[in-house]
Parts: sequence; structure tokens; C-alpha cells
Amino acid sequence: MPTTPIKNEPVKIGYYICHCGTNIASVIDVDAVAKYISKLPNVVVSRNYKYMCSDPGQKLIEDDIAKYQLNRIVVAACSPLLHETTFRNATRKGGLNPFYFQMVNVREHNAWVHSDREQATRKAIELSRAAVERVSLHKPLEIRKLPINPNVLIVGGGIAGIHAALVLANAGKHVYLVEREPTIGGHMAKFDKTFPTLDCAACVLTPKMAAVGKHPNITLWTYSDVVKVDGYVGNYKVTVRRRPRYVIEELCTGCLECIDACIYKEPKFSDEFNLGLGKRKPVYIPFAQAIPSIATIDANTCIELKTGKCKKTCVDACGDRKAIDFKQKEELKEITVGAVIITTGFKTFDARRILYYGYGVYPNVITSLEAERLLNAAGPTSGEFLTRDGRKPKQIAIIHCVGSRDENTNKWCSRVCCLYSLKLAHLIHERTEAEVFNFYIDMRTPGKSMEEFYNRVAEEGVNFVRGRVADIYPDPSDGSTGHLVVQAEDTLLGKILKVPVDMVVLSVGLEPDPASENIRKMFNLSCGSEGWFLERHPKLAPVSSFNEGIFIAGCCQGPKDIPDTVAQAGAAAAEAFSIIDLGNIEIEPNTAYIIESECSGCKSCIPLCPYSAISFDTEKHKSVINEALCKGCGTCVAACPSGSIVQNLFEDEEIISEINGLLEPIEVK
Amino acid sequence: MISTVEHPELTVCKLGTNLDNLLEQPEGQRILSCIQCGTCAGTCPYGDYMEYSPRKIIAMLRRGMIDEVLQSDSMLKCVACYSCMIKCPRGIKLSDVLLPLVKEQTLIRAKEMPAELQHSLQNTLRYGNPMGESSRKRAAWTAKSKAPVPIMSEIKRPVDVLWFVECYTSFYNRGQDNSCAVARLFNALGIDFAILGNEEKCAGDCGQLTWESGLFETLTDYNMVIFKKYKFNKIVTGDPHAFNAFRIRYPMYGFDYEVWHTTPFLAEYVDKLKPKLKKPLNLTVTYHDSCCIGRRAGFYDEGRTLLKAIPGVKIVEMVHNRMNSICCGGGGGGMWLDTYFKQKDMERLSERRVKEAIATGADVLAVSCPYEIYRFEDALKTIPHEKPMVVRDVVELLAESLVEE
Amino acid sequence: MENENKNKSGNGNWSPRIVAFFCNWCTYTAADLAGVSRMKYAPNTRIIRLMCSGRVDPQFILEALARGADGVLIGGCHPGDCHYVEGNYKCLRRFRMLKRMLVDMGIEDKRVRLEWISAAEGEKVKRVVNEMVAEIQELGPLGIPKKFEEWDKEIEDLKHEIENKEKEEVAKQ
Ligand SMILES: Cc1cc2nc3c(=O)[nH]c(=O)nc-3n(C[C@H](O)[C@H](O)[C@H](O)COP(=O)(O)OP(=O)(O)OC[C@H]3O[C@@H](n4cnc5c(N)ncnc54)[C@H](O)[C@@H]3O)c2cc1C
Ligand code: FES
Repeated sequence: MPTTPIKNEPVKIGYYICHCGTNIASVIDVDAVAKYISKLPNVVVSRNYKYMCSDPGQKLIEDDIAKYQLNRIVVAACSPLLHETTFRNATRKGGLNPFYFQMVNVREHNAWVHSDREQATRKAIELSRAAVERVSLHKPLEIRKLPINPNVLIVGGGIAGIHAALVLANAGKHVYLVEREPTIGGHMAKFDKTFPTLDCAACVLTPKMAAVGKHPNITLWTYSDVVKVDGYVGNYKVTVRRRPRYVIEELCTGCLECIDACIYKEPKFSDEFNLGLGKRKPVYIPFAQAIPSIATIDANTCIELKTGKCKKTCVDACGDRKAIDFKQKEELKEITVGAVIITTGFKTFDARRILYYGYGVYPNVITSLEAERLLNAAGPTSGEFLTRDGRKPKQIAIIHCVGSRDENTNKWCSRVCCLYSLKLAHLIHERTEAEVFNFYIDMRTPGKSMEEFYNRVAEEGVNFVRGRVADIYPDPSDGSTGHLVVQAEDTLLGKILKVPVDMVVLSVGLEPDPASENIRKMFNLSCGSEGWFLERHPKLAPVSSFNEGIFIAGCCQGPKDIPDTVAQAGAAAAEAFSIIDLGNIEIEPNTAYIIESECSGCKSCIPLCPYSAISFDTEKHKSVINEALCKGCGTCVAACPSGSIVQNLFEDEEIISEINGLLEPIEVK
Repeated sequence: MISTVEHPELTVCKLGTNLDNLLEQPEGQRILSCIQCGTCAGTCPYGDYMEYSPRKIIAMLRRGMIDEVLQSDSMLKCVACYSCMIKCPRGIKLSDVLLPLVKEQTLIRAKEMPAELQHSLQNTLRYGNPMGESSRKRAAWTAKSKAPVPIMSEIKRPVDVLWFVECYTSFYNRGQDNSCAVARLFNALGIDFAILGNEEKCAGDCGQLTWESGLFETLTDYNMVIFKKYKFNKIVTGDPHAFNAFRIRYPMYGFDYEVWHTTPFLAEYVDKLKPKLKKPLNLTVTYHDSCCIGRRAGFYDEGRTLLKAIPGVKIVEMVHNRMNSICCGGGGGGMWLDTYFKQKDMERLSERRVKEAIATGADVLAVSCPYEIYRFEDALKTIPHEKPMVVRDVVELLAESLVEE
Repeated sequence: MENENKNKSGNGNWSPRIVAFFCNWCTYTAADLAGVSRMKYAPNTRIIRLMCSGRVDPQFILEALARGADGVLIGGCHPGDCHYVEGNYKCLRRFRMLKRMLVDMGIEDKRVRLEWISAAEGEKVKRVVNEMVAEIQELGPLGIPKKFEEWDKEIEDLKHEIENKEKEEVAKQ
């Protein structure tokens, strides 16, 4: 397709100015412009035409190229953002390299914003003259085509990662799903019910988890982390570390006999999945429906792994299956993928940071996530909601906005807390018949069916107090019984309330997981000042990152509920699909390169590149630009002190000739 | 670390800020962002007794109805304990800016100022101390001190530390115990220090209620002139209120010295001090976080660190501790409003606090503020308790354990 | 409309010429939006499209002034919004330095301007262009090419003088 330039071939320019019906022609004297341009050096053809973008308009260019052996084309019409590709194609069809073309914006930047005909015509002439000067210097360029690896990596196996993985896998694409915990499921796996429908979380989640576990197109790596990322869109090289769980996944049948047989007769160690509310053995699965349904042995508590001196009753129980392997080592897997979806979720606010709520001091002050576990039928108390000392609570306070909307902790609204607090109020009231007080600042229940849900919970008799809790302390009148006083102003009454309760639930906010900082760095993601991953555009590119081929979905992008998380995950899967399904991608050839002979090796360009596309060749003592990583901003070009960096399509000479063309004094004829 | 030179953000607001122009200042913009959550009212130790809680004051101010608030005595009940300010989720400078401004205007409009308060303010203006003692006797306490206490005007040389003694610690008996203890500790640590002697006048923090005008500025001007007379590297004071005034208000008038309170100051020397603390005290101690060095300045660990350095001291905590500590009720003029509060049938905060201290079963209620000694000792007289309890400043306990070589 | 007319009047028939460098993603698009919304503004700017404000080489600005522009306008995305992460910061830094130099050289501060204009701010394109045109109209022509001619002439004259002197000396000897 691209014609090789003939050396010293004389430049022959065809110039066309469009009337755009009357859009342009009514303000600009197109005839006069065409006449003026026709007199410029190298201009062979200069025309004006009613609709340049129409088929006959394009044909005109093709025919002229053939007829007059034109080798450069300039079209003055609308914005290049609209029709640059159209005219490049016409140029190509006429047999020229499509980059032997330059467009002049005489509609949006001229005819539409001016009404003085003389001034507008003069401006059109100057803009056109600049393009004519510039186009002479154009070089033939090639649209870059990069092959795309059709596999996708998904980091984080919460509901977002699970949903995205299934969408892509069902479409026939291969997915690597990497999860750091022994099981997928994320936060949702911990809940009993979900607002606003109050459907059981496990009933909707576990079938999806199981589908991930057995899907032929999904490689599921739990207990694993991404440790290294290289490459670029279509071709990311990723290293995943698989931590040893001392159980061979392929051989384990998930019978759990090893757990029964463990030398520890009773579970003794703090159970992470239950937030320490329950106990587990050194060999365990996080919960009954965990996926993969495979035991994990914790090296910090297993006697064999700590001392090598255990009877290994688990190995006996496993018997012929021989799935337990105490010698298992961590494994590094290298994979290549075309696109990546980051779904690393959130972490809940550490309630200890608000001293006056007494979390960690008073046992009956618990977090909402702990409340979820206590309410869960499969949880550590089999769904019985009792105080730490085993009493059935009679009065309970639920405090909204703990670690949200607070300059001292997190400034943002966590968006789901009001709603899940309503859910907890309903569930606790239902299970315990306790009187429930919800202390809120503002009740935020936007979204489909949410206000109706609030209405329902209010009708059930939950007490709503508008006021932020200022203090929680043991009831001074009977310190021994573990009653707590919750003190707040009821701002609607203007009265200070001191409500005695048996338990306090702190509705902790959602915050970025500091552990994702590592992920952010490896994948070169941006994040706002709060630490949530930044989308490319808040409205038009909500699941894209600033890096081509890397998408974000779910709560790692910001707090949201499950329906929104799933919607984003689906969107991210579709975006990833639209890249990997193409086989290859076309890239505007506006990348920069370094003229090796002129580079002084000063390295000043290297830190400027936001994409780390510039590296230093220590042998040659020169900088080198990886064209595949370069996005074509030109920042390094402008900064190079020796002028040895060139940006295709925006070469210094091209721009200076454009400036020159604009400013050459006009001979008024 | 407390130097306002390095931390201009510590100063409270621009000079000349008043209720009329407040909403245009940066502090005022925060006020516009108030979400009316009621944390301030809920945490206020006298919230129950206020017709206009801080939350309502903000609402009224934003509606242009502040005049109504000024007719009420609500703000006289503010003891400037910083509890609302530290918990405010919008970071509004309540106790620093808004509340004192309202309090000042309330007092200006009040038909009658509470007598005790008026008396103290007049004394401060006339004698440079609220108790109306002769300023010529300010340094008289030094005669009691076994350790030498050099005076700036006598030694005529630059020193490292200018020790700003303050009023209660100069004139009151129990306050003088505190000063003698500090003198011993400074000497034992080899600190190069001196005091201003009779030249010193009240720093004026509790004239905080009049900080914007008259009295406070008179005192500021006076003390600033005296400071300029001498050469020293830093100011150390045992009075959290003086410390607070120097730290956040004096900078508005050009003050830029490094300033410390004795508790955090001595905590810096704990390694040097510890080997000298040879006498075991065998006491269970509960530590009261004072508002100005705790909540307002963030020194929670320092007092405890010093106590832990004393052999035989066991620390127990009260229910409300650190940022959640309950004020002794002496701040913001509360020191001279006891009678007024009693007339209004209000619970004494010192009593509320002492009850918590008693509940810990401690032998000693340790404090870092000379007001507190006086207030808590008084409260202990009225609150029944079986096990005896005494009130001691941290420096007194340190001095008691100190064995000079 | 009004502005357009104003520009023609005053200071004889002279009206400023301004070269603008707009980044492709925000400011150029904003100028397109101004067009689509049919906003009217002064016809004195000539926009050059670059991919990012980070591509603006100080040399471009000097070049434009040297070739007769009376002012230069640079438009980029708002801080934090640059399509290439932080090209606009890089631009700002260079701009600050260059600006100091230009002022030292006696080129008025208002002639060179940097503005953050997002793709949604067509209105701002209009406002900034109109403001700038009015300000430069006030300042009058920069006329560097003319100055160049004068300087060239001065240097030429100086050369002649020296040559003549040398000749004279040679003649003396
Ligand atoms: C108490 C509480 C109750 C809630 N109740 C409801 C409700 O009733 N209804 C509702 O709609 N929403 C509710 N939500 C919100 C809901 O939890 C979120 O919308 C949802 O969990 C978001 O899913 P996610 O996949 O984005 O994140 P997560 O659930 O946080 O999942 C992220 C996953 O990524 C993994 N991961 C993190 N970092 C890495 C890494 N570096 N490498 C590998 N893996 C990693 C994590 O281990 C986790 O499995 C509630 C939230 C809370 C806190
Ligand atoms: S892309 Fe607009 S300034 Fe960088």
C-alpha cells in the first residue's frame, strides 16, 4: 500500500476547499482562497467543491492524483477529528501514502465562529498556506499494526473478577483469574443477605463461583499474586507467583478428611475468613463452598511445617490420593495476555482509627462486616446474633458513616453503608427482636428499589436517629454488665440522646486496599488522591484505565454496590473483548524515535516519559524509545536539548513550516 | 516540632476575623461545608445545657440569625475543651475561631457579666494575674525552691530555655509545688534556663474568651516586648493554657519562638532522666489528658512515657482517655464560672472526671496542668470515695522519684 | 460580533495575529465545540494542533514571535486531565521558565499565555481568545521581524564601520 517515496521527486500538491453546502462558503470566499493557493509554489491543482467528503468529492481527489501525478493532498473543510480518516483514505485510494495528506479546519475554527467575510477569508488563506507548506515535508508513514494475544488476565476474584471471567470465558476467550486468598468470592462471600432484595448472597454467588472453578476456559490461580508485568497492549507479559498451599490441587478431591484427621482435634487458630470470630485448624478451607474446593495448609501454624515433627495424621487420612505435599515450593508462572482487567476490590475502614467508638476496647462494639459473619447461617455462630458474652441483645445501635464523610479519616461517602446498615437493621431486628437504633448523618438511598427498601425497614419499626454518634462508653451505672451508652445529638430534636445498648455495629466505610498500591505500580495505573484507581473518563470511559488494554472494574475504582460492580465487570469484559477479538490493533504512527547519531546520552528524556517507553542503552550510551510503548505525546521531543528526538507526523520542521506559513505576510492582490 | 515558624498552619486565623467577616475567611468556608451532623453537640460536655449547641450556632450563622444566639448564654458554658473541634468531620475550627468569637459577643451583649469572671478579668488587666496578687511578688515562690532558679534580668546572659512560669504556678500554694518540682528537674538535667521573674505577666489564654480584643492584646503586647528584651532559644511553660496561647494565638501578633510544654519537653529527655529516677513510688496512677496539650496539640503519649519511667508506677486508664478525655471544666474562663454554673444547676465537670478516676481504683490522678490540681482536689472533697486518691502533676511525681547525685 | 468589529477599529487598521498551540484531546476539541455551538469570537488566532501541550517546544513560541506573531496562546488539558498523564505539567514548567526570559527580553507578559481548557469548555476558548486579542490590541504590534531588520541593519552598519576603519588603517600604513 504505501508507495515508496521517490527521492527528489518534485512536490506536486492538490488543494481542495469545501463549501460544506453553505456552511463554509457563506462566510468564506472559497473561490478567492482557491485562487490564492493556486499561485503558491508546488501547488498543481487548487479547487473548491460543494461537498468534499461526499463520494464525488473523494473521487475528485483520486482522479486528480492520477491525472496530475499529485503527491501531496491538502483539504480545507471541517475538523480533522471528524474527517481526517476519510481524506487519508481517499489519498490512499489515489495511490499515495495516506500520510501525504494534511487537513485544514475552516469550519469549526473559522466559518462557524466568525462572521466578517474578509477576515474569515484571510484566516482561511493563512491556515491553508500553512498546510501547504507543511505537507511538502510529510513523510510516508505506516499505520502500525500489532498482533494481539487473545488471552485475558483478571486480577482479583471478587464478584467483579468472577463475573468478568465468566463473560469472557463464555465468549470463548481464555482467562487467567488470579486471586490472593485461598478462595474466590471476595467480600460478597461473607454476606448473609444482600440489599435491597434481601436475597441470600450465597445463593447467587456460589453457582457463579462453581462455574468459574470448572470452566474449561478459565485458569484459576488462587493463593497467588502478580509479581511482574512487562509489555504493552495486546502483548502483556505477566509473572504470577503461586504460593505453596502444601496440597496438590490436581490430586485433592476436596473430601476434607485431612481436616478431620489433623492432629489438632479442635480448631485453635484465628480464622481469617471469619475475621477472627471463629477458629480454624492449620489445614482448612475458608468456608464450605470455597472455590477451589481444596484444602490449604497454613505454614505459620502447621506443626510439621514449623518443626518437622508432626505425626502427619492428615497425610494418612489422604491415603492413596497423596495430595498433601509438605515439600511444595512457590511456583512462578509466566503468561502472555492481550488485555488485563483489574478487580482488586476494597478494604473496610479500620474502626480503631476513630478512638471514641471504642472498637477493639469494648468487645460488644463490632464492625458491620463482623455483623455480616455473625448473621450468616454458615458463619462462626451459625447465624445466631449474640453479644460476646453470649447474651441475646435487647437494644442495638448501628452507626452509619464510620470512616466516611470525615476529614479526619476518609472524606468520601462510601455509598453502600446506608443501605447495608438498613439491611443489617432488618436482619438483626428479625433474628433477635432487639430494638434497633440507626444513627445516620444523611440517609442516602439512591438507586432502583433502594428508597422502597428504606421505607420497608422504617415500617418494621427501626428507630432512625439523625445525628452522628459522638461518644460510646460503658454505662457508668452498671459497668459490669457490659452495657454501653451511645451518645449523640438527635439533630432533628436538638436533644442529646444517651441510648443504652447491648451491642454497637459500626458501619465501616470502603477504602482502597493499601496492598493494591503494588498492583497500581506494576500496571502503571493512575489513582486519585484517595487511592481509588482512576478511570480514563468519568463518563465516557468509566472502566478504561489510561493504559491501552488495561481495564478496571468493581470497588477498586470506587465504592459501589454489587449491581454496579457486576455492570462494570461486564463492561470491562466487553471492552477487553473488543480489543482481543480483533487479532491486531491499528495505531496512529505518531510515535517518536531517536536519531542515534545525534543523541548526547544526557538522559533528560527518560524521566519525562509517562509510559516508561524510553530506556538507556548503556553500551552505546544513547537513549532508545520503544515504539510499541510510545503513545505519541511528544513531551520528550520538546525537551530534548540536542534536538535528536523526532515525532512522526509532528516533526519540528513540519510544525515550524506551519508557523511560517501562517505568518508570511500576505500580498493583497 | 511545635515551632509555629515551621508550621504556619498552627495559627488559628487571620487577625481581625470577626463574626461579620468569618464566612469569607478560609475557616468560614469550612463552616459553610458543615453537614449538621451534631457530633459537636453530642460530644460537648455541657451539650445538655446549651440552648444553642455549636451545630445550631453554625446553622444560625449561615442563616444570618446569629444575633438571636448572642442573646442566649449558651456560649458562656463552653469550656474550650476542643472536643467538638477534634471530632468535627468537616474540620471546622470551632474552639479555635467560631466559638470564642460568639462567646466574646455574648459577653459584650450580656446585661450582667458573672461576677467571679469579671473580677478575674479585671485583676488580670490590672495586676497581670487573675487572682489579683501583686506583680512584685510573682517570683516570690523561688524562695521556696531548693533548686536554684535564675532570673533573666539578674543573670544578664542568653539562656537556652526561657521558662514561662505563669500565674497559678507562681502564686498558688499547690502551683508553687509544681514550679519547685520543675526547677529541680531542670537542674538535675542540666538545662540552661531562667525565668522572667516579676517581669512576667499572664499569657492570657483564658482571656481566650476575649482573645480578639482588649485584654488579650494588652497582655500579648506586653509579653512580646519582654521576650524581645532577652535572648533565648525556646520557651517552656508548665501551663497548657500559656502553651496554647503561645502556640496558636501569639503568632497572629508576630511571635515566632519555639515553644514547649514541660510534659512533652521533659519526655524528650526521658532517657537521661530515667537513671536519676531511683526512688520507687509504688503507686497506681491514672493520667488525665489535658485539653490544650492532648486534644489541641496531640501530646498523648508524652505524659504516660514520663510516668512509666518512674519505678513502681502502674498506669491504669479512665474510660475517657486521650482524645476522648473529659475536660476539668477550667478552660475558656470556666475556671471563674463555677458559681455561675452552680446557679444554673450544672454538673461540675471536675466531678464528672474525678468519678471516672475513682472508678479505676488508682492511688493518684496524674495531671499536666496547674488548673487541674486545684479543680480535681476540690472535686475529690465532694465526691465520696473509699480508697484515698491524691492529685499530682506529672512533674511532681518525677521530682518525688528523683534522687540527685 | 462586537469583538470582531472592535478588532478592526483602533490603532489604524492593525489587528493582532496570534498563534495558538492546542492539544488534540482537550483544547482543540474545545475549539471544535465552540464552532459547533456557533460561538462568535475574534478572528485573530491561528490554531496549530499538537497531540499534547507537552509537545510545545519553547522554540515554537520564539519562532512564532520572530516571524511576526503578536502573541502566542497555548491550550492544554486541566491539571490531572492530560491524556498523557502529565504532559501539561511539563508544559507549565517550560512555560514558566520561558516566560521569565521573554519578560527579561522586554516582551510583555500578556503576549504569551497558557490556559487549561477542557474539551467541554468551548465558552472558555471564546473568552480567552477575546481577552487576549483585546489585551494585545492595547499593547500594539510586537513587530519582531521589523526589529530583526533594524538589528540586521545596525549590525550591517557596524560591519561597514569596522571595515571602513580597517581600510583607513590599512590605507594609513
Ligand atoms: C459490610 C458490607 C456489606 C455490604 N452489603 C452489600 C449488599 O447487601 N448489597 C450490595 O449490593 N453490596 C453490598 N456491599 C458492597 C459489596 O461488598 C461490593 O459492592 C462488592 O463486594 C464489590 O466487589 P469487588 O469484586 O469489586 O471487590 P471485593 O469483593 O473486595 O473483591 C476483591 C477480590 O480481589 C482480591 N484481591 C485484592 N487484591 C488482590 C491482589 N493484589 N491480587 C490478587 N487478588 C487480589 C481480594 O482477595 C478479593 O477476593 C457491602 C459491603 C460491605 C463492606
Ligand atoms: S493531552 Fe491535552 S495537555 Fe496533554
